[in-house]
Amino acid sequence: MGLDRTIVIGGEAGQGIQTVGQLLAAACHGAGFEVLAVNDFESRIRGGHSSISLRVADRPVAAPCRRIDLLVALDARSEAVHRPDLAEGGMVLADSAAGLDESRALSFSFDQMARDAGGKILANTVAAGACLGLLGAPEDHCRKIVRQQFEAKGDEVVTRNLAAFAAGYAATREERFKGRIQAGWDLAPRRRLMEGNLSVALGAVAADCRVGAFYPMSPATGIMAHLASLSGRYPLVVEQAEDEIAAANMVVGASFAGVRAMTATSGGGFCLMTEALGVAAITETPIVVVNAMRPGPATGLPTRTAQADLNFVIHAGQDEFPRFVFAPANPAQAFETMIRAFDLSERFQVPAIVLVDQFFNDSLFTVADFPKPPEVVRYVIGDADMVDPAAYRRFAVTADGVSPRALPCRGKALVVAASDDHREDGHLSETIEDRRKMVAKRFAKLPDMEAAMRPPEVLHPDADLLLVTWGSSRGAVREAVESLRGEGRSVGAVHFCDLWPLPAVHVAELLGSRPFVTVEQNFSGQLGRLLRAQTGLAPGGSITRTDGRPFFAEEIVAGIEKNEMT
Amino acid sequence: MVTVEDYRSDFENEWCPGCGNFGILEAMKAALVDLGLEPHQVLIVSGIGQAAKTPHFLKCNAFHGLHGRALPVATGAKLANHALTVLVNAGDGDCYGEGGNHFMAAIRRNLDITLIVHDNRIYGLTKGQASPTSDLGMPTRIQPEGTVSEGFNPLAAALALGAGFVARGFSGDKAQLAMLIAAGVRHKGFALIDVLQPCVSFNHIHTHGWYKQRVFDLAAEGHDAGDWNAAMAHGRQWGDRIPLGIFYQEQKPTFIDRIGMLQKGPLIDQAAVAFEL
Ligand SMILES: Cc1ncc(C[n+]2csc(CCOP(=O)(O)OP(=O)(O)O)c2C)c(N)n1
Ligand code: SF4
Ligand SMILES: [Mg+2]
Repeated sequence: MGLDRTIVIGGEAGQGIQTVGQLLAAACHGAGFEVLAVNDFESRIRGGHSSISLRVADRPVAAPCRRIDLLVALDARSEAVHRPDLAEGGMVLADSAAGLDESRALSFSFDQMARDAGGKILANTVAAGACLGLLGAPEDHCRKIVRQQFEAKGDEVVTRNLAAFAAGYAATREERFKGRIQAGWDLAPRRRLMEGNLSVALGAVAADCRVGAFYPMSPATGIMAHLASLSGRYPLVVEQAEDEIAAANMVVGASFAGVRAMTATSGGGFCLMTEALGVAAITETPIVVVNAMRPGPATGLPTRTAQADLNFVIHAGQDEFPRFVFAPANPAQAFETMIRAFDLSERFQVPAIVLVDQFFNDSLFTVADFPKPPEVVRYVIGDADMVDPAAYRRFAVTADGVSPRALPCRGKALVVAASDDHREDGHLSETIEDRRKMVAKRFAKLPDMEAAMRPPEVLHPDADLLLVTWGSSRGAVREAVESLRGEGRSVGAVHFCDLWPLPAVHVAELLGSRPFVTVEQNFSGQLGRLLRAQTGLAPGGSITRTDGRPFFAEEIVAGIEKNEMT
Repeated sequence: MVTVEDYRSDFENEWCPGCGNFGILEAMKAALVDLGLEPHQVLIVSGIGQAAKTPHFLKCNAFHGLHGRALPVATGAKLANHALTVLVNAGDGDCYGEGGNHFMAAIRRNLDITLIVHDNRIYGLTKGQASPTSDLGMPTRIQPEGTVSEGFNPLAAALALGAGFVARGFSGDKAQLAMLIAAGVRHKGFALIDVLQPCVSFNHIHTHGWYKQRVFDLAAEGHDAGDWNAAMAHGRQWGDRIPLGIFYQEQKPTFIDRIGMLQKGPLIDQAAVAFEL
């Protein structure tokens, strides 16, 4: 085992914990380490307890680790909350204002140093300096990172933060801090640091998304904020709608009029969008909806993570209609999935839903550069492609259920779409014949849609037990699998990104008669139930977590061991 | 030259004989002809209700969406392609009830569309329940003792929200209504035309004759459409004398004018930009 350290910084909301996290992440990443920074915060602006967990390793890490090597406590509560997870030999560094005695923590006054450097708000930068000092990061390198981090805020802010950093850094040179946590900074960043949110927004612009409409809701807001910041560089407008119903209907309107469009929300907002999902379905208007999951029901835990909306999004809306559902594991897959979601939604003229979650959205991952996105194909026709534009029928019945799609006011062909069921020309009809025709037409798309689904990804397919998961839990599951294999257990991992229509043939082939358990962040093991319903293959159990925090590999390992699943 | 005949649709009309909707439909066709627009140059967005079926009864591009949700669809369509001429046909329940939040937001955005509300002061399609514009105390099957909410005043609300074009028409005066619709389309920005529309099946109070006795033309009485206070006073006038015409008109930057990215032209026509990380 090489280097793998977890640093947790805890304090109150408003103390700038995130800034410390970003500084540390940038410094470690800048020195060539793989970094994963996971934000844990409450739904409030001030007070309470929030923390950031930074995992720094010399190999890719995709899940947080429970064991804390260095805990930096800006207040007493942080020490109490996180002490149980302190690793053997772990170190606690605290602001002396926390009043912890020497047996509990090494303390000095962050606050005093901050004031000396120019103001008490700099305490977070003092803490970052102390962390980097303890990690043995070269001072010049750190100064460079501090400068980059605050550059945009002007010289004075940079100068103060450099002073605060230097004070914290120097404090850790004292004798009592000996036995620092690690050395060996090679200073060659290999990949880039990216928030999950950003990868979703980047995927959207790479797919030529031109309209984004949304209503703020954690943990989805970051996606739209990133998208808004990309508007200007790309032909793209982001509009804050009056509610999620409006957001989804705006996306439908924009797509109907001819540009690619998306919205992002969380479960509660998705509830409000379900009727619009149906209107997209019956009018065969492509739309992409990102649901960033958090625990529910209702407001649930607004700033925490979950994977509990799988059932919901597969079935959301009255009656039934074809749709796509994806759940990418990491930023690279999210980028690619957004591009595929836009493409497949437009190719089949159905809604596409992308499930991410708070852990994924708000964490910083170390990612490789994304591949060049494929050429965008628009599946639309114009007058020139028609024999007689006057005879155009938007919902013409075809063998594969997909009707050639023209756009309104782009030629002589009239485009008529209705949320009532309709004739081939889009006008209302309640005849038995038309209804049967339209239902059959919409569902005729399913075989090709299913064929477009990618099979789940498998690690160690020949293992005796497979841990089956979806979405962002992939990282923790893979780590658990490697750990269990290290103990001599024959386990493998299966990850679903493409969830619906379920690629049932591949699944049956893969799982066959092999025992499997699902690992997912919901109560009932929703993927397990889905697999059983679609393939008849029943999981041997499920390892679940519903408390709003992401999985640790360690607890998955424990779950397998406890239940003697191998 | 486009004629009314070009707008004739052979799709079977579903309204009750004698319904005020017919007058609105004819006025729309006359206005579109007057504007020199051909059917393929027009996009009509509607919600759900009797009013919202309008786009099926003439030739045009149409998106007949969800109950209450026409305005957000129109907003999205405009964002995508602001060269579109968009008209919205909505019912009073559709627009002021189910879609009330969108009504407020569309006015605040100054979305450049023409909203025609078929205000029959009743839920027609669902067979006669009270709508937001039903009079306080009007008995219905659901409210046998009469409704218990005050009627919603769309003109006063639109004026209070800062709408730049506020008008009222009457389905029984097609010539004036056609003029109002054409003026609404010509107006750059949000245009509301609330149309007094008798529902022969379910509203036995506000009949054609009832309106006929009461309506008068604001313009003929020298109303200044630039005077917001006068517009508000007329907006609150109801009873023996009911004003028709343009209550208020003010040109101001539209939704599209306020979005920098759209000054380069409609999004749909802008060149794609190659992705770079
Ligand atoms: C979400 C939803 N709720 C309720 C309905 C049922 N519904 C259809 S039309 C309508 C009201 C119609 O009244 P109005 O909007 O005034 O139109 P009108 O028929 O009077 O022209 C209602 C409640 C629906 N279609 N969708
Ligand atoms: S129910 Fe009323 S509004 Fe609807 S078509 Fe009949 S008369 Fe017209
Ligand atoms: Mg009505």
